[in-house]
Amino acid sequence: MGMTPAPSNTASGGHIRPREFAGEIRDVRPVMGDSSLIAFTAPHEVITAAKPGQFVEVLCRDPGAFDPLLRRPLSVYRADPERGELTVLVRPYGRGSAWLCRQPVGTVLDVLGPLGNWFDVAPRSERLLMVAGGVGAAPVFMLAEEAVRRGLSVTYLLGAMNADGLLPAHEMPEEIEYVVATDDGSRGHHGFVTDLVPDYLQWADQVFSCGPEPMFRSLRQQVMQHRIGRKPGVQLSVERTMACGLGACLGCVVETTSGMVPSCTEGPVYEMERLVWG
Amino acid sequence: MTPDLTVDLAPHNPRELVLNNPVIPASGCFGYGLEYSAVMDVQKLGAFVSKGITPEPRSGNPMPRITETPAGMLNAIGLQNPGIRKFIRKYPAIWQHWDVPAIVNISAEAVEDYAMMARELDEQPGIAAIEVNISCPNINAGGFCFGWDAGMSADVTRAVRQATTLPVIVKLSPGALDVIEIAQAVASEGADAISLINTLVGMSIDTRTRKPVIANVTGGLSGPAVRPVAVRMVYQVAQAVEIPVIGMGGIASLNDALEFFMAGASAIQIGTATFAHPGFPLRLIDELSQWLAARGHASLREIVGVANPRFAGNGS
Repeated sequence: MGMTPAPSNTASGGHIRPREFAGEIRDVRPVMGDSSLIAFTAPHEVITAAKPGQFVEVLCRDPGAFDPLLRRPLSVYRADPERGELTVLVRPYGRGSAWLCRQPVGTVLDVLGPLGNWFDVAPRSERLLMVAGGVGAAPVFMLAEEAVRRGLSVTYLLGAMNADGLLPAHEMPEEIEYVVATDDGSRGHHGFVTDLVPDYLQWADQVFSCGPEPMFRSLRQQVMQHRIGRKPGVQLSVERTMACGLGACLGCVVETTSGMVPSCTEGPVYEMERLVWG
Repeated sequence: MTPDLTVDLAPHNPRELVLNNPVIPASGCFGYGLEYSAVMDVQKLGAFVSKGITPEPRSGNPMPRITETPAGMLNAIGLQNPGIRKFIRKYPAIWQHWDVPAIVNISAEAVEDYAMMARELDEQPGIAAIEVNISCPNINAGGFCFGWDAGMSADVTRAVRQATTLPVIVKLSPGALDVIEIAQAVASEGADAISLINTLVGMSIDTRTRKPVIANVTGGLSGPAVRPVAVRMVYQVAQAVEIPVIGMGGIASLNDALEFFMAGASAIQIGTATFAHPGFPLRLIDELSQWLAARGHASLREIVGVANPRFAGNGS
């Protein structure tokens, strides 16, 4: 007997299976304060298969070391087949991400991917609203770039603590309407990014979001007030601590209407109404 | 010449448990085999152990369930699984077409529930053996862990033994006061093999929030941090029983695996290391074969127990 293929719900990565590969860092660009955009090489099949919302798991330690033990999940920010690179957005808020941000160009990373499900743009959606907070900017950025390439209208709302924490405007394709909010008012709206959401909820055919949990809760309130029952629903990319990335260890589960499901394979993207809001 | 890596983990059982090689992904770290077939040829493994199955479905513990510790991790997944009935409807039909032996890990909180599950599994296709997790609270003994008491460990083993002719592996808890006493108790009740160690109970506190990191408060410690404890216990148990011992605990390299074989393990299980390196179990099989060949060994058996006086005379 040969191998029995895994069912589609466990073989993440869409039309290709995830693989472990060596990715050489080609570029490290400081962005959003202390964060970095890190571009590394990847196999062509991985780059072309990676979809907005999917992630890779990077081993963030020196060879032979055991700390930190587990890989770090990082949403794909950009997949560029011409340059042969994947780019991730990394904020150094833990030991693993701090290690990754310290690595110079030329470092060879141990990468597993592409992993997880992806944002699903409905065939008839023409106007897309992105709502992002902090490093949650990454997965919706890839979606926004891809959407404008396909001629769709995109409004991208990004919130940060201050102007320094925002994605610079030159990163954003000019077709995208880029609107920002800062907690200290140093740029754009003075307040939360979700304060901006009501203005766009009627306009948008679809809403996509990634950011911290309080932002999701606030977004959900806006949606319940201004967009109740409208289809397609709102898609959220949820962040969890992960171990295996393949749906085996059940360390990264999210509570949904169909039970506790691993967010590495059945997520990280969920329909808002599928999540259980405690 | 390619060294012989085959191992017989149930030499006294007519239903046999002969593996092509001694490398086995551990329970809880490998799902049901399907998850990892996305990234490796699962059929090349010696065997694999399924996620722990319980009498009823369990939704597991609240999040967070895992956290990293120095050279290790804590987990408190809480045995999230579909329960024995749903499990039987799904997996045996898939595994019966597989080459790799599938070992089912069972957990329960009462002796009769262990027996019930062993009976249910006995005639299922595609199941090579049962691994009995005795690191569970016994609800009829005030929640005291089965695996910490020789009498209760013996009770579970006897009940499972009577309920099935499948090879039975009993997985020992490192929390037992005297692991040798437990090992001898389960061996005398007809266990075909012993596996150890399960995780060590640990805890981590987030000093910023001033609360335990894991929602369940305590979790099982695994990874390289526990390896010296595991090697010691494998060494002691291999000295005390005649049945095969399957060693595990923080194996993350060929050298780690060799320590367990030399301590007296006939086979090994790989757990936490697979999370960081999904390719590690298959790579280990090749590395082990090359290591033995380079030293002129015709068989893995020649190094099993070489560091353990009980095995004196073996392989010489």
